[in-house]
Amino acid sequence: MLHQFSYVAPKSREELLDLLSTDYAHAKILAGGTDLLVNIRNGTVKPGMVIDIKKIKEFSGITYSKGEGLVLRPAVTINDVLRDPTVRDYFPLLQECGHDLASYQIRNRATVIGNVVNASPCSDMAPALLCLDSQVVLASSRGTRTVPLKEFFIGVKKTVLAPDEIVERIIVPTQAKGAIGKYRKLKRINGHDLGIIGVAVAVVNGHVRIAVSSAAPTPVVTEGLPMDIQVDEAVEITMNMISPISDVRCTKEYREFMVNTFVRRLLAEVRG
Amino acid sequence: MQENSDSARFAYVGKSVLRVEAIEKLTGLAMYVSDMSLPGMLYAQVKKSPHARARIKHIDISRAAALVGVRAVLTGAELNYRLGLYIVDKDILAKGEVRHYGEAVAAVAADTLEIARKAVDLIDVEYEVLDPVLNHMDALKEGAPLVHPDLGTYDYVEAAFTPVPGTNIANLSKLRKGDVQKGFDESTWIIEREYDNPSVQHVPMETHVAIVQWGKNDNVTIWSSAQSPFTVRNLFCYAFKLPLNKVRVLVPHVGGGFGGKAGIHIEPLVACLSKKAGGRPVKLQASREEEFSLLPCRSALTYKIKTGVSAEGKILAQQMWMYWDAGAYADYAVNVTRASGYSAAGPYEIPNAWIDAYTVYTNKPYGTAYRGFGHVEFHWGVERHMDLIARAIGMDPLEFRLKNALRPGSVSLTGERITDNTGDVLTCISEVAKAINYGKLTEEEKERERRTGRKIGKGIAALHKAPAMPSNTATAAVIKMNSDGTVNVNVGLMEIGQGSTTAITQIVAERLGFRLDQIKVTLEKDTDRDPYDWQTVASKGLILTGNACVLACEDLLKKGYEVAAQALCAHPEDLTHDADRIYVIHRPSEMISWARLSIGYTYPDGKSIGGPLIGVGQYIAHGLSNLDKETGQGNPALDWTYGAHGIIAEVDGVTGEYKVLKVASAFDVGKVINPGMVRGQAVGGMIQGLGTAICEGYVFDKQGHLLNPSFTDNKIPTTMDLPEEIETIVVETPQLDGPYGVRGVGEHSMISVAPALGNAIQAAVGADLTHMPMRFEDVWRAMRNKEPVDNWITKTPAGSCRSDPTTRRHEPDAAIAP
Amino acid sequence: MKIRLTVNSQVYERDVAENRTLLRFIREDVGLTGTKEGCGAGECGACTVYMNGKTVNSCMVLAVEADGAAIETIEGEAVDGMLSKLQEAFDRNHAVQCGFCTPGMLISAKELIHNHPKPTVEQIKEGLEGNLCRCTGYQQIIEAVLDTTGQLTRKEGLEYAGK
Ligand SMILES: Cc1cc2nc3c(=O)[nH]c(=O)nc-3n(C[C@H](O)[C@H](O)[C@H](O)COP(=O)(O)OP(=O)(O)OC[C@H]3O[C@@H](n4cnc5c(N)ncnc54)[C@H](O)[C@@H]3O)c2cc1C
Ligand code: FES
Ligand code: FES
Repeated sequence: MLHQFSYVAPKSREELLDLLSTDYAHAKILAGGTDLLVNIRNGTVKPGMVIDIKKIKEFSGITYSKGEGLVLRPAVTINDVLRDPTVRDYFPLLQECGHDLASYQIRNRATVIGNVVNASPCSDMAPALLCLDSQVVLASSRGTRTVPLKEFFIGVKKTVLAPDEIVERIIVPTQAKGAIGKYRKLKRINGHDLGIIGVAVAVVNGHVRIAVSSAAPTPVVTEGLPMDIQVDEAVEITMNMISPISDVRCTKEYREFMVNTFVRRLLAEVRG
Repeated sequence: MQENSDSARFAYVGKSVLRVEAIEKLTGLAMYVSDMSLPGMLYAQVKKSPHARARIKHIDISRAAALVGVRAVLTGAELNYRLGLYIVDKDILAKGEVRHYGEAVAAVAADTLEIARKAVDLIDVEYEVLDPVLNHMDALKEGAPLVHPDLGTYDYVEAAFTPVPGTNIANLSKLRKGDVQKGFDESTWIIEREYDNPSVQHVPMETHVAIVQWGKNDNVTIWSSAQSPFTVRNLFCYAFKLPLNKVRVLVPHVGGGFGGKAGIHIEPLVACLSKKAGGRPVKLQASREEEFSLLPCRSALTYKIKTGVSAEGKILAQQMWMYWDAGAYADYAVNVTRASGYSAAGPYEIPNAWIDAYTVYTNKPYGTAYRGFGHVEFHWGVERHMDLIARAIGMDPLEFRLKNALRPGSVSLTGERITDNTGDVLTCISEVAKAINYGKLTEEEKERERRTGRKIGKGIAALHKAPAMPSNTATAAVIKMNSDGTVNVNVGLMEIGQGSTTAITQIVAERLGFRLDQIKVTLEKDTDRDPYDWQTVASKGLILTGNACVLACEDLLKKGYEVAAQALCAHPEDLTHDADRIYVIHRPSEMISWARLSIGYTYPDGKSIGGPLIGVGQYIAHGLSNLDKETGQGNPALDWTYGAHGIIAEVDGVTGEYKVLKVASAFDVGKVINPGMVRGQAVGGMIQGLGTAICEGYVFDKQGHLLNPSFTDNKIPTTMDLPEEIETIVVETPQLDGPYGVRGVGEHSMISVAPALGNAIQAAVGADLTHMPMRFEDVWRAMRNKEPVDNWITKTPAGSCRSDPTTRRHEPDAAIAP
Repeated sequence: MKIRLTVNSQVYERDVAENRTLLRFIREDVGLTGTKEGCGAGECGACTVYMNGKTVNSCMVLAVEADGAAIETIEGEAVDGMLSKLQEAFDRNHAVQCGFCTPGMLISAKELIHNHPKPTVEQIKEGLEGNLCRCTGYQQIIEAVLDTTGQLTRKEGLEYAGK
């Protein structure tokens, strides 16, 4: 890596927020680093300071309570999610998405929150988290605020996160009957690959929700749709919220077709 | 050179002996050039062109040169050395004009990698961007920009190649056999179509890397991750006008080659940097991104085939036009053109054949050798075409293949008569057909179709390939006995993972009658100490080096017997030996140990005879000849390895997504020396072939920028991409001049995987594909007869990859024009 | 920045640049070159090592992040010159060709067996998905893993026509 930076690993949340309140302009948070280090290597990001948040004790761990829901903290990796029995029992859709993200070693490092903050259109965690109505808790020395994930993304790799803010938690609300859902990702090979498109369909609190990745500037999700919605109508609503492009991976035309097809198939599967 | 090939009689041949260098590799101790560093070593970095074609107006190196720690900066202006394997057309650094995206325009050597990178960033190059010629079919058009306006002034190998000055044609190879016009006239069917494939990257896991020290008195030492140390030396000396004995090339373990490391690549540039830095060693390792465009790839191909077939389904005539995309430099591409020219029809008998095979310059990264040497690419066309013909004339593709396949008595395209021992393609085809239950679905498969809603299809494709090499390809082996009766074997053949070192160990142990642990075949190569070998390419290693080793063993034994006969006062004919000693056949107690003979025999009174025992064997390809430039007739083939693949694929008839359920492959290897390793070559090559078939290929934008130079967008197969079932079958028709009957099989496993898959996909859902790779989207488009994706990966002159077949009945066509 | 860590149970204390990757630290500063670089971008797995008991792509980790960590590399796999069961199985099953992917592959395979003492073929494939091998076609690697866990049934995968 050519670019030079300083490295700090604060031990507490306060220390971190303090640091950010003064150094935010040139600092970058380092969680698993699987996006940040790729970007530094490519020269697309040139931070003056890298702040490693993994040494902050309270940033680890997944907790669940009926009242609060599922709480994912900044150091929680994709493999943590895949191993967690609560997630398995109550939020299997999160595991389906996580399973499709990168390779085993990468998943040992890649964090859920890093994936969300990176805000790539092809994020694999976003579709599930969007379907499940997740809330993002942001913190800075100025205070905390909570934003629905849907409003967190504002453009290709752009979010509402202010430079001195961090994402402290992602909260996935408790679902009455557990979150039943399916995720399907179109790839070029069966092995690990970024998604050409990804579609998640979930039944959440008596409604159907459809989320799509790699087909718009950000991952997108529908409102809760009636359980008995006509397939064609659900497809139309989905198609209206996406705006796929042609690129090295595939054409706009095929992307549209595959979103359409996956929505139909997943709806059938999820509704049984 | 053929020995009795009955495995039961052998101690080592035919046995799955463990890889001799496995333990070094398993423990992380094996040393590759990328692991090496030398005292005082500098690190090099390269400034690369962001344009496909541009005039270099000015290069400002002042800021780079001023950086502390920079020891040398070079631009093309100060270098006057040209390189080239067959056509000497490449400057070490671009001079005047850049000819492809990623081409080196300047280079730096510095104390650390970081400083070198910073220095490269500080070099300013001012370009005048010119219109590139990117598609090889466009490059043939009148008025196309010339990639090499000075082509007429370049040196080239005249015996084999024909560049056409004033055009972008780097070579035109022709073949004429029989009378195609007559063949077409007699045909009931004429079927014609065009096929193509893009450029592809080899992807050795170790990228190209070299360390060079330009020492005093022009003594140059090169450590390189290279397949052919002697070729590096030869071409290096040719470029720098140095005597061969001044340049020493050393190659330790190599992290994969697949043809990409067969020629000479970054070594001359690194050498120039070392010279400029006052003789300090300099190391350059390509990044993965650089591997895609600074270094060469496999050429793209457009292949048009027109076939005349009789009412009974016999091929009577075939006319073939090949357009190979050399990219910016000819490198191996001209020889790929030549070699594929004479095998272009696949393993089938074509009584009347006509081929024009062009190598065309374009402003793209240049093509080089890649496993299969053109055969992966053109077999895609040939074997899809065989299915097309069969369907058109209403015959089963398997039956059609069996009817037209080469067999004893057939005459090859270049006039060679196939014999009982050439190899047996019929058995290969039949075996894979049997292995996949060709032609029907089993109950289980039908049930699977019902369960998944997907369609299952089965396809077959055959293949052949001979080593593409000069008629005088030669090699040698030296076996030196140590004073304890062990031996060291020196050969020039490189170990790049293919397992030759182990196979050679087995052959030497077998022939000497020694134990395996008495034999050490030196793995690291050193052109100062090892005997000459042409190159480690072409699947010719085991035949040529194996033969040289057998001869060296015989030489060693003969010399040992002579001394022993004298010492034992016996006739050499009355002697025999085992791993430890030579003894008199009828009086075994009269014996001398090898150890006592090894460096000379000493009598009890101190007098001595003999001397260090060294066996030498030389072998040169037998009976090959140059090809006639007008007709392509002659004998180019050391041996032909035949094979076939059968594939079962499961395809989603709506989306075009598919999965490979089973691949069965069969090769006539002559004789299996090491079953475990033959299987490793067979499966490894097959998966590489699947990569080529499914997803690999360069994608350019219309300015010629390479859009996917990394693993992010140039995927290669992973464990998840393995077929559910893999079956490897060998046929053993002994090669009469191969040691123990062997023939090469290193490349063949990769050939014809793609068409077998294409044929299976078509059988499943009707998608009729004429271009590789077959991405899911391509299958989807083909199923719906949609215009294929119009991007550079598949673009042909018509503006798309669509190639509708022309099938005509009873109207033989006279027009023969490309 | 000064860091202190163990590599294969040996303590190392070094001053490293903040932007140095763990991979280059292991290869160039510690001098253990068994761990390879195939891409530098997290894609190929040639650089896989254990860090605090988890496998990571060491090209995607900063050396400074490993301050205080326990690193295990391929050089720590054979103990007292004795190959591990896994290494022996790789040897026996011809799972090595050029050898460049092998160190990373072995580390991932070890982790996979740790997670799944009796893995299914599907689990093996998933566990090794992040390790590219261009030579072997993976089949003999999968067999080596099955052999290590005592699950290999088919020994010789080569069939001879007509025999
Ligand atoms: C080889 C490879 C394959 C990949 N494949 C996939 C894939 O298939 N699907 C997919 O979705 N992604 C993929 N990725 C991308 C990446 O792994 C994921 O996006 C990952 O989840 C990012 O998490 P991280 O912890 O590594 O993020 P980091 O790189 O540490 O951080 C990502 C960004 O988020 C910021 N950040 C992180 N945490 C916080 C926080 N708590 N508060 C504020 N800002 C924060 C960082 O500053 C940085 O800008 C792949 C990456 C690689 C290298
Ligand atoms: S070198 Fe780290 S994943 Fe390729
Ligand atoms: S053995 Fe060569 S890359 Fe795996």
